[in-house]
Amino acid sequence: MLRPRLLSGVLARWTGGADRLQSSRNFGVSNFLLKKADDSEQEEQKQVVAKSIFDVKEKNKNSYIDMVRKFNERNVLKRGHVEFIYAAMKHMDEFGVSKDLEVYKSLIDIFPKGKMIPRNMFQAEFQHYPKHQQCATDILEKMEQNGVIPDMEVEVMLTNVFGKTAHPVRKFMRMYYWMPKFNNLSPWPLPKPVPDDPFELAKLALQRITSVDLLTKINTFDSKDLEDSLDKTWILSAQSPLQKEILERLPSDQPLYVEGAFKIWLRSKCVQYFVLRGKPKPYKPRPTMDEIDDVSNLKSPYIDEEAAEKTLEPLRTVHEQAEGTIIAIAATGTSSKDSLLSWIRFLQKTNPPLDRIPVLFSMTSPFGQVVPVNDSAENQGQRLSD
Amino acid sequence: MAETLKLCQVLLRRRLLKLGYSSSCQAFHTSARNQVYDPNPKGGFRKEGDLNFPSRTEMIRDGLKQLKGEIMLWKEEVKEKLAMDPLMVARKGEVDVQWQFNNPEVLAKFQLNSDRDQNHGYSTCELKMSPSGKGLFTGFIDTRCPKDGIISTTGYCSMRTYRARKSFKRDSYLNWSMYNTLVMRVRGDGRSYQLNIANAGYFDITWNDVFNFILYTRGGPYWQLAKIPFSKFFYVSKGRVQDKQRPINLELVSNFGITATDSSSGEFNLEIDYIGLEFDPAHQETFAYEKYKHSNFIVGN
Repeated sequence: MLRPRLLSGVLARWTGGADRLQSSRNFGVSNFLLKKADDSEQEEQKQVVAKSIFDVKEKNKNSYIDMVRKFNERNVLKRGHVEFIYAAMKHMDEFGVSKDLEVYKSLIDIFPKGKMIPRNMFQAEFQHYPKHQQCATDILEKMEQNGVIPDMEVEVMLTNVFGKTAHPVRKFMRMYYWMPKFNNLSPWPLPKPVPDDPFELAKLALQRITSVDLLTKINTFDSKDLEDSLDKTWILSAQSPLQKEILERLPSDQPLYVEGAFKIWLRSKCVQYFVLRGKPKPYKPRPTMDEIDDVSNLKSPYIDEEAAEKTLEPLRTVHEQAEGTIIAIAATGTSSKDSLLSWIRFLQKTNPPLDRIPVLFSMTSPFGQVVPVNDSAENQGQRLSD
Repeated sequence: MAETLKLCQVLLRRRLLKLGYSSSCQAFHTSARNQVYDPNPKGGFRKEGDLNFPSRTEMIRDGLKQLKGEIMLWKEEVKEKLAMDPLMVARKGEVDVQWQFNNPEVLAKFQLNSDRDQNHGYSTCELKMSPSGKGLFTGFIDTRCPKDGIISTTGYCSMRTYRARKSFKRDSYLNWSMYNTLVMRVRGDGRSYQLNIANAGYFDITWNDVFNFILYTRGGPYWQLAKIPFSKFFYVSKGRVQDKQRPINLELVSNFGITATDSSSGEFNLEIDYIGLEFDPAHQETFAYEKYKHSNFIVGN
């Protein structure tokens, strides 16, 4: 008994308008995918035409769902739906819908319901309609890669299409079980999706970096307020009262360094930030074993100041690292030297010690690799997010 | 004991691997083979023909050179066995550092691997000393796929310890049963990294047994102390989270590794001060995930 699709292809060939379907004898290709074309150019155009469906001027969620709806409407028999789904999945990123659950549901909805449910145990065991099951599994795989958590409606749809023992349903079960568990594991939660605006991104980044000290305040400045600044941009500066205290105690002969730009990743977006660093606080030399064991000349650190100097020191704060003492952290709109200069000027208003301590710009840093910074935005300043 | 029990399970774990939930931040194309038994421990990633063996006389000469060192190792092992006073209990609050990245010799204990090595992509990575004198795992993750029609997603780099060994190159295990927490002092770049603790056993179905968890890094110039209890590590095989979950067997740790993988192309930098182990008596949890009994023939399918 010939399989229904082959039969229809053969029948179509015997009847009239089979010119179009001649090349499609072995698999059902819908009219939707084949435009009206000259017979001579049919073979060549088939490949070209399949891509041009997605060549829409406005690429957004509405046009994407519209396309899917058109396929369903024009193609009641759903010929070539597997090929269409694969093509649609390829173009998801262009349309910017790869993180949208509704779009994935619309793709799963294309499958015919009830036809592919196994009727006996052999069909259930041997992956009834393997190509279609694999296609549905690939849709779910793409969802997983993009971090989209399915919901119960997806399960109902998949069960109606493939039956409850099918592989896509099993994959769904695993996704539905594991993804919510892993969704909120990060100690520094980020909004989903992360904002596109560089200012909001930078704010999130600074909040994340300075979460070590909960008293940190993030201030927004604008270099427009300064008369002699070249770059007119926003400046976000993060500093805590603890860092201000540390700054007051610093000597005037040791300069502070503005280092940057360093990169921090927020999901898939990158933010550049700068650090105002002082020289690292030296560790006091530890007493040797002989000194510890020697009890002939014991001095109490509570009474004798010299002994206290030698053996006691106040606990280090989180800002006093081995590579340097961090005074403030900033992110600017243009990430240029000029904007950093404006930042220092703003800091001087709230930190009087900065008037007496020199501030230098540094090309290298012990904190890690530095992305070189331009003088000002006019000289092709670097962009904030990649 | 545990290994023989596993043999009795259904051996369909590796068939049609896309069905399982991927443990990494990004799913990889795991081999969709329809075979039950894979004799190669590398799972088809490297074949015998790829290795360039030196001539037989050279191999014999090299072997004899190593003989002295191996005998010294073996002597130490015998002494320890006869002494019969192993450490049984770890002290509370103390971190027993396993790998301290303060000199370049430690870097040689790790092997680097990226998708470029397997011809699966174009990512690069390296392990070197950072400007502040600590270990730095850095590189570039590239999510471009090579156009060979097989790879659908790619972009990963990993650093992994070599297999623990006894004298005479015998495969051994690291025994971490005294501890219950993994401690890492790191300075990351805001990215998440995957921690892999491999429990490769003797039988082939256990060769890809790995326990995973994600190391979330804060980013920024501040150092971060990450303490992850072993009860949070979940059971994974070839990048797919397994249906039947079990806690990690800390007596049979074969490798420890860190994988950098992301859905977006870009640089990554992970500065590591040390990786150590701690016993936290306040942490009473044995396993964070449910060990449900599954319906027949669903597990591994």
